[in-house]
Amino acid sequence: MPIQNPNPNKKKKKHSNQDDDEDDTVQGKQRTQFEFCKACRLNHNQGRRHIYFPNHKKALSSFLSRFQSKLKNDVAFYLKKPMPLRPEHAALNRLWCVFCDFDILESDSSFACSGNAIAHLASAEHLKGVKSFLWKYGGGMDRMDSFRISESDFTKWEKKCKLLKSEAAGGGSHGSLIGPLNDIHNESKSEYVNSFDKNKLDCLTSDVKCSNSVVPLQDHTIERSQISHSKICTVGPQILHAGTGVGLGARTPNGLPGFFGNQHYTHSVPKEGPAYSCPNDGKQVYSYEGIAIGDRHSQGTSSEESRLQSLQNLTQISSSAQENGGGNVHSGAPPPWFSAAEKIQLDNKLNQGLGDLVSSLGEQMKTSKLNPKRVGAAWAERRKIELELEKRGELVRHDFGADWLPNFGRVWQSGSRKDSRKEFLGENKTWRKVDSQIEKPSQFQPYISKRMRTDNTAE
Amino acid sequence: MNYLLTTLTKKQEVDSMIRDTIDKVLVLCFGRASDSIFLQLDEILYKSVREVSKFATVALVDIDSDDVQVYVKYFDITLIPSTVFFFNAHHMKMDCGSADHTKWVGTFLRKQDFLDVVEAIYRGAMKGKLIVTCPLPPDRIPKFHLLYEDV
Repeated sequence: MPIQNPNPNKKKKKHSNQDDDEDDTVQGKQRTQFEFCKACRLNHNQGRRHIYFPNHKKALSSFLSRFQSKLKNDVAFYLKKPMPLRPEHAALNRLWCVFCDFDILESDSSFACSGNAIAHLASAEHLKGVKSFLWKYGGGMDRMDSFRISESDFTKWEKKCKLLKSEAAGGGSHGSLIGPLNDIHNESKSEYVNSFDKNKLDCLTSDVKCSNSVVPLQDHTIERSQISHSKICTVGPQILHAGTGVGLGARTPNGLPGFFGNQHYTHSVPKEGPAYSCPNDGKQVYSYEGIAIGDRHSQGTSSEESRLQSLQNLTQISSSAQENGGGNVHSGAPPPWFSAAEKIQLDNKLNQGLGDLVSSLGEQMKTSKLNPKRVGAAWAERRKIELELEKRGELVRHDFGADWLPNFGRVWQSGSRKDSRKEFLGENKTWRKVDSQIEKPSQFQPYISKRMRTDNTAE
Repeated sequence: MNYLLTTLTKKQEVDSMIRDTIDKVLVLCFGRASDSIFLQLDEILYKSVREVSKFATVALVDIDSDDVQVYVKYFDITLIPSTVFFFNAHHMKMDCGSADHTKWVGTFLRKQDFLDVVEAIYRGAMKGKLIVTCPLPPDRIPKFHLLYEDV
């Protein structure tokens, strides 16, 4: 068998290889065309047989696991926590995508670390590359998702990046002023900014988090919690409140004690405007920001009504809070949201944990008990669900037709079992037809002899 | 008959039996109560039903009932007693060295043989195999001549 020169090109692919096809002399089963296997790093002429060799399987598994660990360590970490990229570090953060055979550089990534890499891993071309690689090297098509980033994850990551960007943009100017204050303040500010982008749920969680960590700075927290509470309700008009509230706050310093009734706050109707209290320097800055942001978002919304409403709301709150005798900052009682928030947090954690536990247990039980590859597994699962529904009474039992036949492979059968069933049904029909035809001439006529007949006809 | 296992006489009963046995082997024995070999088979089944109960269900089908004739034809039952195995409404074949893999013809020589056969079917089914090989040595398998098609 003539041995052709092994192709020195590393990136030669079977289907793109035109030259060798002409030279190729296919003798018997073995192709004489040489290919390069990326996993084993060797040129072979075994064609598709190569991927089933044990050496190749070993090489492939180590190859894929190396890439996967890279993905896990670097990319997954930054997917969860996008961090701003410094240009000096950019040169170090490169990723070679083994499926698409190209190097992903971080040169122009304004996004957080490894932005280009994440963008590539989520792209459609990469998916194609992964598919073709796995098909070519026999990696197992079910592992595809571990080598790429799903669209949902990618969008989440993008959102986070945007927030970071805006935070960076907004926080840059006030950095010097706010620096000496606690980190908590910064965190809360970022959450304030973020609220305009994120949805309500995020607000809630961030609120819970920030209020939980806020105990020592009680004045701040009042403001913050109020602001964040207002965020929970609606975004647009409330920001306006924030904007206009500065003036109001200056006028109503007595509003402070009223805000300890945060319990009322949580339960009360969403349109409560936050009031801004004591003209502390830091707070001024804080609320100043509130105005700025409020202005940004206040375009197009009417201001008078909301102002009136906030005024009205202010008075309501204070009266109700004064009725409530228990616990004040001044009396030294623990802030009411602290215990509430703890409960909320605990509950959330518990629920999540429980939910996770239950689902994981269920999955574990399922997979450990019965092999999903067993005969008729899909049918069994469906049937179990059906039976359960019938038990509960939700699904009315519908009897299968009298013509239902189980999956049976006939004795002298060539072809699939469905064919055998069809065959049988077809045969059955002919049988039934025959029967019915036999039944038709059921009328019995007395025997008339020929002589009699001829006599009749003659007459 | 009191001394027989649950005997099914209607197609609907057989259908519900097949459909309601989930993740267990269903052993359906077709035969006639007056047949001595069938009675012997029933004796062995009766003794083993409880032992096999966790992974198999056993039922008898009376061949003489009209309703069930569809199944008699569908499963191509010509010699009785014939035993057909199902798992999750899928028919399980067993290669016993004879020409017909779709059913077990005849009785079992010992209770242990029956248990071995059902166990083999169950193991194969759990692995996803629709046809299994018979664990019994050929001398323990009843022989019969299979009638060829169109004869």
